Amino acid sequence: MPDRVGRRRMLAGIAGLAAGGCTARPDRGGGRGPVDLKLLSHYGEGPLEAGLRRAVDDWNAGQSRSRVETVAVRFEDLLTTVVVRQAAGQGTDILHLYALWAGQLVRAGVLRPVPPGDAVRVRDGFPAAVAGAVGVDGVPFGYPTEVQTYGLYCNRRLLAAAGAARPPRTWRELEAVARAATRKDRHGNTVVQGLALSRVDDSETVNPVLALLASGGGAFLTADGRGCALGSPAGDAVFGLQRRLVRTGAGDPAIDMYAAFPAGRAAMAVNGGWWCGSLTASMGERYRDVVTAALPGPAAGDRGTLATAFLMGVNTQCRHPGPAWEFVRWLNADAVAPPGGGGARVTRMSALQWAAGSMTGRTADMRALLGAHGDPNAVPFLDALAHATPEPNGPRAQQAKSVLRKNIEEMWNGRLSAAEALNATCTQVDRELSRPG
Amino acid sequence: MRIRELPVVARHTGPHRHQAAVALLFLLPALLFYAVFIVLPVLFTGVLALSTGPRPGLTGMTFAGPDNFTALFAPDSSFLFPVLTNTLLYAAGTVVLTTGGGLVAALCLVRLPGQGLWRTLYFLPVVTTVVATGNAWKHLYRPDGPVNAALNAVGLDSVGFLQNPSAALPAVVVVQSWASLGSAVLILTAGLTTVPRDCLEAAALDGAGPLTVLVRVTLPLLRPALLFVCVTQLLAGLQSFALIAVMTGNGGPGDATDVAALEMYRRAFTYGDWGTAGAAAFVLFLVTLVITLAQLRLFEPGGGDA
Repeated sequence: MPDRVGRRRMLAGIAGLAAGGCTARPDRGGGRGPVDLKLLSHYGEGPLEAGLRRAVDDWNAGQSRSRVETVAVRFEDLLTTVVVRQAAGQGTDILHLYALWAGQLVRAGVLRPVPPGDAVRVRDGFPAAVAGAVGVDGVPFGYPTEVQTYGLYCNRRLLAAAGAARPPRTWRELEAVARAATRKDRHGNTVVQGLALSRVDDSETVNPVLALLASGGGAFLTADGRGCALGSPAGDAVFGLQRRLVRTGAGDPAIDMYAAFPAGRAAMAVNGGWWCGSLTASMGERYRDVVTAALPGPAAGDRGTLATAFLMGVNTQCRHPGPAWEFVRWLNADAVAPPGGGGARVTRMSALQWAAGSMTGRTADMRALLGAHGDPNAVPFLDALAHATPEPNGPRAQQAKSVLRKNIEEMWNGRLSAAEALNATCTQVDRELSRPG
Repeated sequence: MRIRELPVVARHTGPHRHQAAVALLFLLPALLFYAVFIVLPVLFTGVLALSTGPRPGLTGMTFAGPDNFTALFAPDSSFLFPVLTNTLLYAAGTVVLTTGGGLVAALCLVRLPGQGLWRTLYFLPVVTTVVATGNAWKHLYRPDGPVNAALNAVGLDSVGFLQNPSAALPAVVVVQSWASLGSAVLILTAGLTTVPRDCLEAAALDGAGPLTVLVRVTLPLLRPALLFVCVTQLLAGLQSFALIAVMTGNGGPGDATDVAALEMYRRAFTYGDWGTAGAAAFVLFLVTLVITLAQLRLFEPGGGDA
């Protein structure tokens, strides 16, 4: 008999442990203390991590309704983490995501639509392109946070050595300066690249191409997001430009752009505004050599670039959506006068992004902060918010982007001509977008 | 007949039935493990492969019939070429290099003193994590890395090992083979020690040269060890994922190093496209099964001579 009791107790213990292990988190709601919320983001290091951690600490210290804990993964692993955790029923309460994935994650039932009051705040507080980037079929699924527009980074010294007194204003000038600035050693190794190219991930490869495409009046996908729109004169021109840059050696995708440009081994690069802050930190005194400019177009004065955005939203698996939205609103909508902000009243997210050398889509916040301590290199990116094209964020947007990346790389490698790469992209993207489910 | 049937009847009587029940009870944990971690996932993958939908649950999916397989093998789909082709080339390259290199190394090692030390040295890459191995080789292969510096030092031009689409797959195959060489050497040296010395001596006495002894005596007697190395390396090659993910990130440049496991992973866990991921998994399973069975048949005594 004692043996049987012992066995039963042991079984009960095991069952209890198993049940405990299967529970995502203890529910501490119901007035017994603050509810625990987890926030998943890719801010795992540097000033963005520090800024987010400080903001979360402020939230946790300032009220007793909820406690937020941050969980960080690399950007490359962010979507996979969300998809896998969601499939396992362990979705994180608050998600800080690339807006490109909004359509996919809404279709998969990951994101909650923002509450009606917040929807108005999103619509009224941001430029239409930014508010649209976090919406699916017109419904916002989070607050826009970090927003990037793309522009041209130049190394003044290398430009001067190539005979250019100012950043190029047209694609023709861009190509000529890139060729003039390129230097190779006797083994054919690149010493200085004219225009740095990057193939770290899909965004690094594709976004600069899409930004140039937008500056030429082109688009990747049709307005309804159901088909490829690359087959256009702008598409032909941008793919042709990329192919020529690589073929002539003026662009070398084999070289790590993030090492080459700060080291003064790349004359120009197309990148998002966030890079200003990163370059300031990594280049030190040599940052004086860096000058930024609006992205060149086919003709001088042509305007257009790409805008990418992140959103902060609440998971459908979150047990406490009320407190979660309360935190998201506190971080992204409530205006405060942050220390060092020159008295400007901006959102905590705007202050956080600005302190890290990045920006949000709140133009007024950014102008106020720029007035307080402006890096003139940030101006072209801020100006671009007015005319930048948002990334399409349909249910298969990431797949379409991956297809485009592969074909751009095949073109860079010379395995496809510009026309073949363009046609292959359109065929494959159209097939992916037309698939049911 | 009656004499044969008697024990069968006897096995179903009391004590034997009890013994069978006890045996089954002892087997139960292993069977349960097999059912939960092998059979159920295979069945679930089958269900996924015939379904479509953004969520991998039985409620979130709808029946799609063979649509996912049709999509994989559509004329402009990259699954058959280059993904599956890359997978087969990768696996074949790994088997050839690992088995060949392992055999040469093992033949040399059995003649050296201090075999334990040599085997340990060869085995070190096997116990190193794939991430460390991949990153170390990635550094070696860099355009401005040590390998290219060595090439430049002898007057040769640099090679874009992981940047040139023609060089990328072979470059990764070399790393996979290097990382697996230790286990092949271990098995083959053990196999070589089981080759009876009198057979080798008899062949030598009959006038066979070293090469003839190797081809006609040693290798046939080493067949079980060679089979084991080939099958395990092939399976590892067909399912390889981590090393390629570490070294090329996404199967690049372009899709030069894209393999089935990577494609499967990306479709399921990045795009949430569980249906085509399940279909890709099934295709890979069938390819692996067919090739492994063919290999087993080939290595059967007399199989290669058929």
